[in-house]
Amino acid sequence: MQNEKWTVGLAVFLVIAAAATLFIWIPNDIETGVVETFRRRVTIGDAMAPTMVAAALLVVSILMGVTAYFGGRQQKHAAKAGLDKQSFTFLLRLTIAVGLGLGLMVYTGPVIVDIINSFGGEIGTYRHLKAAFPYKYLGYVLGGFFMVFGLIRVVENRFSASAAWASIIAVLVLTILYDVPFENLLLPPNGDH
Amino acid sequence: MGVLDHIWLGVVAVFTADPIFTLAGLPFSTTIMMVVLGFLGGIVVGATPGLGGPFAMAISLPILISIFGFEPDALLPVLGFLVGIMKGSTVGGAVPAILFNTPGTPDSLMTTLDGYPLTKKGKPGKALRIAHFSSVSGDTFSDIVLITCAPFLAILVEKFLDFPEKAALIILSLAFVSAVVGRNVWKGMAAALLGMFFAYIGTGEDGYPRLSLGTDGLAEGLPLISAVLGVLIIGEVFKALEDMWHEMREKSVITNIKMKGDQKLHFSDIRRIFPFISISAGIGTMIGALPGIGSTLAATLGYATGRKVYKGDTPFGEGAPEGVAATEAANSAVAGANLIPVLSLGIPGNVSAVFIILATESIGGFNPGPQVFSLVPDQINQEMVYAFGLFTTMIFANGLNWTFGGVFMRSMGVMVRVPKQRLLPIVLLLTLTAIYVQQTSMFAIYITLFFGLLGYLMRKLKISVLPFVIAFILANNLEEAMRQAFAVTGSDPWFLLASPISVVFIALSIVVVVFFARNQKDLG
Repeated sequence: MQNEKWTVGLAVFLVIAAAATLFIWIPNDIETGVVETFRRRVTIGDAMAPTMVAAALLVVSILMGVTAYFGGRQQKHAAKAGLDKQSFTFLLRLTIAVGLGLGLMVYTGPVIVDIINSFGGEIGTYRHLKAAFPYKYLGYVLGGFFMVFGLIRVVENRFSASAAWASIIAVLVLTILYDVPFENLLLPPNGDH
Repeated sequence: MGVLDHIWLGVVAVFTADPIFTLAGLPFSTTIMMVVLGFLGGIVVGATPGLGGPFAMAISLPILISIFGFEPDALLPVLGFLVGIMKGSTVGGAVPAILFNTPGTPDSLMTTLDGYPLTKKGKPGKALRIAHFSSVSGDTFSDIVLITCAPFLAILVEKFLDFPEKAALIILSLAFVSAVVGRNVWKGMAAALLGMFFAYIGTGEDGYPRLSLGTDGLAEGLPLISAVLGVLIIGEVFKALEDMWHEMREKSVITNIKMKGDQKLHFSDIRRIFPFISISAGIGTMIGALPGIGSTLAATLGYATGRKVYKGDTPFGEGAPEGVAATEAANSAVAGANLIPVLSLGIPGNVSAVFIILATESIGGFNPGPQVFSLVPDQINQEMVYAFGLFTTMIFANGLNWTFGGVFMRSMGVMVRVPKQRLLPIVLLLTLTAIYVQQTSMFAIYITLFFGLLGYLMRKLKISVLPFVIAFILANNLEEAMRQAFAVTGSDPWFLLASPISVVFIALSIVVVVFFARNQKDLG
């Protein structure tokens, strides 16, 4: 029964999302109508395509829910669908590893530059140093390492020196691959500064 | 300028443009080098369990664009590399299936049925040679069909289809892909509709970017590359990591199997497997030409048909060389034929075709579709030159496959030792980096991760991601065709039913959905 429950749940979610899009989002976030009349010439407005898609999604979701609810018993051998408690645990760990990696990637460079400046270094802002060695690599190398190492740690469920080495080598290879041959390419997060 | 002139210009563009070096007086062009590199890389990736052609295409595309830029000159080297990967990964996928009973991709699952028993009997060399010969034969046949059919189909489309018919054809394609791929028609349709909806965010003709919630990030629209790579690659990485986390990684012991007896492929072997290759190549090509039906179904049908006509001593499933031949010829024959809808209609039918479209959209100068093959008197249609250049790279890659592919493929058994749980996090970082260097915005990375999560959830809920991706790509084309059709029919609200052809397309769309909804089964 797990499959049908998830499909019905998905259908309900999509019905609500499609209805909200159709009756709240589209009317408030598109400035032209479904059709537009300008000098007696009728044209298709920007709202036409999203409205048709949202309306179709509403109908399809209802059909999905109804067929899953009434036809579920016939699909005894269907593959297992849906998320269980373990999936949520995995997602939480995945989010921590990726989030930590991205956080370090974005903030390491600017924070280190601020720290050096606060100790009287007067090296300027990160914006001025985003193409200078070693500042341009700080965020990517540290954040990339924690992302790769963190994910390996999640899957292997243990810390290992070989995983750390593999992560360091991978990040260094990617840094060399993108930064050395291409002068115009910016590693994350340098393009945002 | 006639067709032959365009063919010649395409061949010349591939072999002589931008030469890197000269060997015995012959120029060695950038495009040729890229086909070779893509082909070798494709075999390596195909032979690595857990990776596959789409992974390699996704990762390499942004790097290639960084190297070659966005000028039309970049088209043939980039497409050549992608074609090389497509061909290489198809043959490479048989290696772990035959040597280690580990199908690298779903297509190779059927190859394990007879390939691994042959290995256990001490005939891994012979099994790999049969797989290679069958795969290349199927692929070559499929390419011949593509090269001969796509231009004629395109000319017919251009001659008979106007805007209303083109809009109806896109609707038919989306209905077909939604209905055929995956386990549940309604889920497939919901995926396609969601893909279309996301494509409409931040686009439109009005000055205010629609559905952008007043934010700058959404005002430019959701980047195609973020949506496609997020759903296809990042979603798959998340799902694969979770599967490995669940299993806590099985300790895979690599057994060394000693070769016994004759490992070569003789003419008598070829004569024996040739009927199976022929049947499977036909099945694979037909399936490949239909949007949405992948090589997995082709392999299954090829194997099942082969088993029906087989009358040999060793039963299928116990090491029959014909079983390997039937499977490999069928799944490889899909590769060329699935470019037929791309080049003749501009409609991508599978993941490899999605990356070809993505490359052409990113670079510009070549818009796959029926106009590619239209002749303009006294002028060169540069798009037709690129199309024949693309065909030339495919033929050249086949030549590589016939000559060096087998030897290189047989040396790739070592790739099965690469630990997948360490490779996939690196693939994740590589994909995110590749997207960043192209978009130069962390927002693009966050969008990619959002689509990655969406792709993960779709996989967990057994919703096929292919309709989502294809609909995302085609959504704006459909809207544009509808706007044009509405205008040319004098604002007729029934423009989709304005001609017999579009009526047939719309009726077929309904029939396909109703038929598959009544006979729901897994064809994915």
